Amino acid sequence: MKSKLSRNLYAIPYALWILIFVVAPIVLVLYYSFFDIEGNLSLTNYINFFTPVYLKMTLSSFWYAFLITAFTLLISYPTAFLLTKTKNKQLWLLLIIVPSWINLLLKAYAFLGIFGTYGTANSLLEVLGIGSKQILFTDFSFIFVSVYIFIPFMILPIFNALDEMSPTLLDAANDLGASAWTTFRRVIFPLTLDGVRSGCQVVFIPALSLFMLTRLISGNRVITLGTAIEQQFLVTQDWGMGSTIAVFLIIIMFVFVALTGSRKRGM
Amino acid sequence: MSDQVIIRFEGVTKQYDQDIPVLNDVSFEIERGKFYTLLGPSGCGKTTILRLIAGFTEATQGEIYFNGNVINNVPANKRQVNTVFQDYALFPHLNVFENVAFGLRIKKTKKEEVAKKVHEALAFVNLEGYENREIREMSGGQRQRVAIARAIINEPEVILLDEPLSALDLKLRTEMQYELRELQQRLGITFIFVTHDQEEALAMSDEIFVINRGKIQQSGTPTDIYDEPINRFVADFIGESNIVKGKMLADHLVEFVGKQFDCVDQGLNPDEPVEVVIRPEDLEITTRERGKLQVRVDSQLFRGVHYEISSYDKDGNEWLVHSTKKATVGDEIGLYFDSEAIHVMRFGETEEEFDKRLEAYGDGVGNEE
Repeated sequence: MKSKLSRNLYAIPYALWILIFVVAPIVLVLYYSFFDIEGNLSLTNYINFFTPVYLKMTLSSFWYAFLITAFTLLISYPTAFLLTKTKNKQLWLLLIIVPSWINLLLKAYAFLGIFGTYGTANSLLEVLGIGSKQILFTDFSFIFVSVYIFIPFMILPIFNALDEMSPTLLDAANDLGASAWTTFRRVIFPLTLDGVRSGCQVVFIPALSLFMLTRLISGNRVITLGTAIEQQFLVTQDWGMGSTIAVFLIIIMFVFVALTGSRKRGM
Repeated sequence: MSDQVIIRFEGVTKQYDQDIPVLNDVSFEIERGKFYTLLGPSGCGKTTILRLIAGFTEATQGEIYFNGNVINNVPANKRQVNTVFQDYALFPHLNVFENVAFGLRIKKTKKEEVAKKVHEALAFVNLEGYENREIREMSGGQRQRVAIARAIINEPEVILLDEPLSALDLKLRTEMQYELRELQQRLGITFIFVTHDQEEALAMSDEIFVINRGKIQQSGTPTDIYDEPINRFVADFIGESNIVKGKMLADHLVEFVGKQFDCVDQGLNPDEPVEVVIRPEDLEITTRERGKLQVRVDSQLFRGVHYEISSYDKDGNEWLVHSTKKATVGDEIGLYFDSEAIHVMRFGETEEEFDKRLEAYGDGVGNEE
């Protein structure tokens, strides 16, 4: 009985933490979402959300988050795969992860310099004879920078999944007649699927609510749910509408996690 | 070269970087339908031979023939061999049925046929009804059987087994030895079994290759290798032995520990220095007067079926005796043995020379118990 009591005592800090920093904010967001801009209790925010403006914004958020996740995965999987084959794989992994330690804002500003009208990218294009282009404030630059930022978060879980896999499994598949491609399709990929899922989660969910990059890199040409929330709170001062969008964002995240959650192995 | 030969190694060397070769100029033949064991200590090159046959690694030099064709450049997935791995290498994301069906799925076999064959293969290894189990739900012995079923379903001509019993407990291991031997006889295909366990090798094989330092030391039937080891390494590695230095005085007469003994060995040079092997179970405890050797009992261990007695003669040579009779520690006893129990080994004799010399003895003498 005593051990149970002390165990409960130890749990108190964690329970408090979750209560204050997880449950309370969600409850507050939910609470504010039921007040309109005048401070009256109403459902107008929810009705407004289903107007074309916000629906379009939601769809475009989804679309960009999807593109970012897809490109990040496309780059990260082969990279992680090659990493496991290198001799000093931990060193290479570290080198890839290091950029993620640098502040997001700093990296965004660095890209402003690189992609700007007189930046490195344009100088290169000049030299190649293509001529300078408008790179900044385009969909391309937004997705490029986002993908760059998210790559380490995708590589890590995939690398771990690949690294854990026993190499004799590959010999076994080969032994049973599988070509390199079949081995990948039937053994390697299914066994690293959990890594891919968690990688997609850590990329897709933040990508849905990116807001700083949308302003700095794409010059507000791309408006995601994240941008909308920021604008409602800071510019329009419509906390109710901002909260409502946040509620939907939270719901979407839960649905996404539930959908991509690791299923029982072996169908 | 007869039709019976299925695999042939010709001067095969395997070397990583500039290291000492893992395999050094190895040549041998494997015949159809037999149970072969590659026996040796870890790092001796036995697994490398297996990997060369399977195609997981390439020979640095030499040719590997399969059914008379060089297969050095044939990739693993195109070879008519299947492997049972040491850690079984079962696919954790697939259930038992899909693991066994893996090879057939790749060959795009029809659904009904896959189901039929998987069922047959599982029945063969006594695993009927386990089709839908996940691999993690299976015990070590069961996983072992799944791995075997997965290997035999492709109907390979040769099955390679890489220390497949090493992860099992002693009792299960002994059971699986019988089962593997029986399975090989039922299937009638060639098994090449790698192990460092001499008892396993002696119990199961038709032929044993004893390997050390990248060379085949000796090959032959279990009784040949046990009774007539070619050198100190083989004598020491297979079973327990008493090995002493001696001198071959003439045919059938050898001298060791300062005495002369009749033996069955012949064809050596007069006064040639040799090593003499006597197996502990061939030594019989008797009174000091009746013994051919006089020794003092140093220690005694009860091993269940026999006592293992360690004793020393006056020159300080250790004599290990396996006896069902108990001795008393500290006693002076006599050891008696037949002239057939003495086995003489020359220094640096090749297997070829050794075989030739043995043949000259004729049948019945020394070769058999």
